[in-house]
Amino acid sequence: MARQTDVLSESRSNEFSLRALINKAGIGLALLALIIFFSVFTEHFLNANNITNILTQITINLILAVGMTFVILIGGIDLSVGSVMAFAAVVAGKAITLPGFGTTEVILLACLAAITAGFVCGLLNGVISSYWALPSFIITLGMLNIARGAALQVSEAQTIYSFPFAFEEFGSAMIYGIPVVFLVALVLVLLAWFILNRTVFGRLLYGIGNNEEAVRLAGHPVFWYKVAAFTICGLTAGIAAIVYMARLNISSPIAGIGFELNAIAAVIIGGTSLSGGRGSVIGTLIGAFIIGVLANGLILIGLSDFMRQMITGVVIIIAVVLDHYRAKFAAK
Amino acid sequence: MAALEQSFRTNTQNSATAPKAEIILAVTNLKKHFGGVKALDGVNFSLKQGEVHALVGENGAGKSTLIKILSGVFPFDAGEIILSGNNYQPRHPQEAKANGVQVVHQEFNLLTHLSVAENISIEAMPKTHFGLLDRKEMNRRARRALDAIGLSDVDVRTTVQNLGIAHRQLVEIARALQSESQILILDEPTATLTERETSRLFKIIEGIKAKGVTVVFVTHHLNEVFATCDRVTVFRNGETIITEKIEDTTPEGVVGHMVGRKLAEEMNNAVPEHTVGSVALKLKDFCIEDNPHNDGISFDLRYGEILGIAGLVGAGRTELLRGIFGIDPVRSGKLERDGQAIEFKAPRDAIASGIGFVTEDRKDEGLILDMPIAANVSLANMASVSSKGLLSFTKERLQARRGGEKLKLKYGKTSDPASSLSGGNQQKVVLAKWLARNPKILILDEPTRGVDVGAKAEIYSILKDLAKEGVALLIVSSEMPELMTLSDRILVLADHQLRGELSRSEFSEEKILQMAYGQTTDTKGIH
Amino acid sequence: MKFMKIAAAAATSIALLAGSAQAEDKPVVGLIMKSLANEFFQNMLEGAKEHEKKRGDYELRAVGMQNETDFESQINAVENFITQGVDAIVIAPADSRAMVRPLKRAMEAGIVVINFDVSLDAEAKKQQGVELAFVGPDNRGGAKLAGDALGELLGAGSKVVIIEGNPGADNANERRLGFEASVEDYKLDLVDSRTAHWETEEANTVFSNILTAHPDIQGVMAANDSMAIGVVKALESAGRKDITVVGFDNIPAVGPMIKDGRMLATVDQFGQDMAANSIDLALDVIAGGPQLEGWVKTPIELVTNK
Repeated sequence: MARQTDVLSESRSNEFSLRALINKAGIGLALLALIIFFSVFTEHFLNANNITNILTQITINLILAVGMTFVILIGGIDLSVGSVMAFAAVVAGKAITLPGFGTTEVILLACLAAITAGFVCGLLNGVISSYWALPSFIITLGMLNIARGAALQVSEAQTIYSFPFAFEEFGSAMIYGIPVVFLVALVLVLLAWFILNRTVFGRLLYGIGNNEEAVRLAGHPVFWYKVAAFTICGLTAGIAAIVYMARLNISSPIAGIGFELNAIAAVIIGGTSLSGGRGSVIGTLIGAFIIGVLANGLILIGLSDFMRQMITGVVIIIAVVLDHYRAKFAAK
Repeated sequence: MAALEQSFRTNTQNSATAPKAEIILAVTNLKKHFGGVKALDGVNFSLKQGEVHALVGENGAGKSTLIKILSGVFPFDAGEIILSGNNYQPRHPQEAKANGVQVVHQEFNLLTHLSVAENISIEAMPKTHFGLLDRKEMNRRARRALDAIGLSDVDVRTTVQNLGIAHRQLVEIARALQSESQILILDEPTATLTERETSRLFKIIEGIKAKGVTVVFVTHHLNEVFATCDRVTVFRNGETIITEKIEDTTPEGVVGHMVGRKLAEEMNNAVPEHTVGSVALKLKDFCIEDNPHNDGISFDLRYGEILGIAGLVGAGRTELLRGIFGIDPVRSGKLERDGQAIEFKAPRDAIASGIGFVTEDRKDEGLILDMPIAANVSLANMASVSSKGLLSFTKERLQARRGGEKLKLKYGKTSDPASSLSGGNQQKVVLAKWLARNPKILILDEPTRGVDVGAKAEIYSILKDLAKEGVALLIVSSEMPELMTLSDRILVLADHQLRGELSRSEFSEEKILQMAYGQTTDTKGIH
Repeated sequence: MKFMKIAAAAATSIALLAGSAQAEDKPVVGLIMKSLANEFFQNMLEGAKEHEKKRGDYELRAVGMQNETDFESQINAVENFITQGVDAIVIAPADSRAMVRPLKRAMEAGIVVINFDVSLDAEAKKQQGVELAFVGPDNRGGAKLAGDALGELLGAGSKVVIIEGNPGADNANERRLGFEASVEDYKLDLVDSRTAHWETEEANTVFSNILTAHPDIQGVMAANDSMAIGVVKALESAGRKDITVVGFDNIPAVGPMIKDGRMLATVDQFGQDMAANSIDLALDVIAGGPQLEGWVKTPIELVTNK
């Protein structure tokens, strides 16, 4: 019946809770099991290059999933992140290929353009769905189409290419074998953790996800908090667009199709409840790792594309079913 | 059949009491507990064939529980029910229906997007030989069912959402009656009806009665009892007090039975000695959007005063509080706070001016059950446990501990979820949430609902202490003794209008009930 | 996704309405393409519009789809064109079987139908009793050109992988078969073959993982250039300069890569001209020319830095 917010209470009161530990470790243990499995059954899995690969490969999904965590925590959903990422990428692609500017200027301009595009789309999602109290599922489905159409319109359906070398360098830079873009994602995770667990804003997002009316009656501007959650999600889509461009050196208007589903999967596998109010961004980090490790490991093991797709689906379902039992267990 | 004979007999006013009338249902010493709460504690009454029998009593006196037992929603713990000479223990609503016991509940059970005919046949859709829905037969049955209660002006193919409330209710009655019915239970059928609709319903009840069906009529309106019923059974605190023939009693007598014990001594113990200050909140013709009338409500609430608001369910009490607190829109009228005109567009405005609101429904509006006690206590007072938007867990924990100590909260750790607490302690957390702000005015809606007796007394003493400290309290409660114990004055609301004001020396349940039932300014019902 | 299809159909009909200001006697040609989100079709549309302006003796009504497999919208578009009584329908079918029946109805209505880009299924045509020529490039032949270039360079026994397009798509199948023919002819060692759904980021991820599993591969055949770009980026991140990549489509973005040797070759099927050429053929038939038969192959060309 009653769900626990152990993650919350544990981190907030600094009181030790064994149950919380088991709860949180649960999903981590699953990741550990996957890692051990692939290490044993494939030759190259633990190879330094492969680990670098995995980190690179989960980066975009992780960044999108961080934003998605905010939206799902308040009981919403954002289906538009993949399209918004593509839109932000082509807007930034147009900016970065503008003639007559210095390298630094165009790169800054492109980053600003991507973040602004993401911000605007997220703001619209939030304002429209919160003002009229409409299901975010439908509003963001609309935005999915709007942003994709806008991306195609702006780019005239052409891949934008030839970016400055410095930008390319950022996309492939490493620190001790760790891709810089992944570190960017990690900083976002830590920032999100701090916001969700240490600020009044974060606390009230959990509150809204659990009982919006109680938060409203306690005198808080629920509308703006919800708008902020969607805006953060849009912002992360803009940041993901920058990473996408830096990594591949192109902006494609058809980038990111289906990315929203991977981001949602990472959040849910990470133990955040689809109905809101319960979960953590650390779980999301682990969820993104599980998806990335699975995609990587199953190719290394030589499984066919179709089997790979099936197994990924099975893992998502198992994760959600396990989470159901975990919540039940925790309630006892 | 007996029905003919029966209809003949019902032509005379006192037919139901005729010696021949057969007892079809007898309830003996029925008991029912919910957890530690006694809902029914010895209910005895009987129904005669073809009578209209009223059940009356205050909210929570046990009427609804009895109905739910009779209709197979709950099992009972002890006692006996004999239906038509057989032991009756329905395990589920279908079994009750099979035994001819039909209920039309207060909240409608119609599927609004389906047609009237579909709704009437929903339990057993007629099928053709091919197993397809036999629409013709379905419409024919529906027509027959509607005609049977004289509802010939409703097209069976129209969807229910196109019908008014009154017609929906009548469709429910038709649905209940289409199968063999011995007993038809109507749970507050007139609560949402206009006067004309009510009189139409009464005519239909007459017709049903004429067919030999026993009608059980639950209502808050005594004039309706006296207009239509043959006998009346009064409930109080889960017991049946008396069953009387209508012609042997008076409305005043019934109210007297409903109230029962005199509370004089309790009240004497409870007189709060304190001085009352200046006007904290003034309402002038305050009229919320949902108020069906154009004239609003006016009263003053003073510092150090506990002002109670009494009234029946649906009298507009909660709506009034929500309007004051800025939750629901206000149509007209004025608010004055400390003599200054003020307008609350949202709860935050009301909170900013020093008002707190303990809502009626703690699970949906008051608490975030899954979140820690400490987080719930700080919910309305984030500023005191944070600086520049950053939370201080130490401050938050201390605030929760302080609040808990003051209210004698029984809890494990401040990090435990609010859902781990008992009802009374949950209510104390809601109180702690508002007290953390040191409110000047505290509005409370049903402050002790679902709270056990011990915690109730503690909450009373907390509220009285607050008044002594000079806080202005506005309390809505359905429990009359609670209001009479706590309040300095009581306002009585009925139908969104102020029906009277009683000062402490005038308090009596009879007076409150008479005002609430509209006995003094009667507007509806008697024909 | 029904919702999107309906939306696409609505968009289609609006496009048709807008275009129905009929020019007096000019023949009307309805052009039905696949996803305009695909550069290839976008370029094709541009080419067709220019062609309409240049020739000036016909009216073009063009319709694009929401995505590559949205054949429901295509069926709607065909039906709308029949209703409007266009003189010719020039179509790149989204589904080689599902489109046969609606096109048959168009032919029965006396409309000249030209099937380009992807051939309708021969079996389905036979079943419906439809005789319809195909105007289009030889995807398999094109892929074989690229594959042969790779095989020529690497020699027998070299380890190669294929990055495929959408599983089930006809051009993806044809291109894979062309690559496989090269693998056989040059006795290459095909170590893995996987889809990246035509998409750059996915190709980048998938190929990185293949490279980890098979560090000794020497060549990559990507079924389109978008995926080839993803492969090239993966090679750059891995610091591998010893692996040769070929692509398909010759999109502008791969120009620099071919020039500086990051890619060996791509295949140009002159997509920009394909729709225009098909329209020319349709107008010839309308003007009383002979009916087309069999496979009218359009030119393809291997593009390298030589």
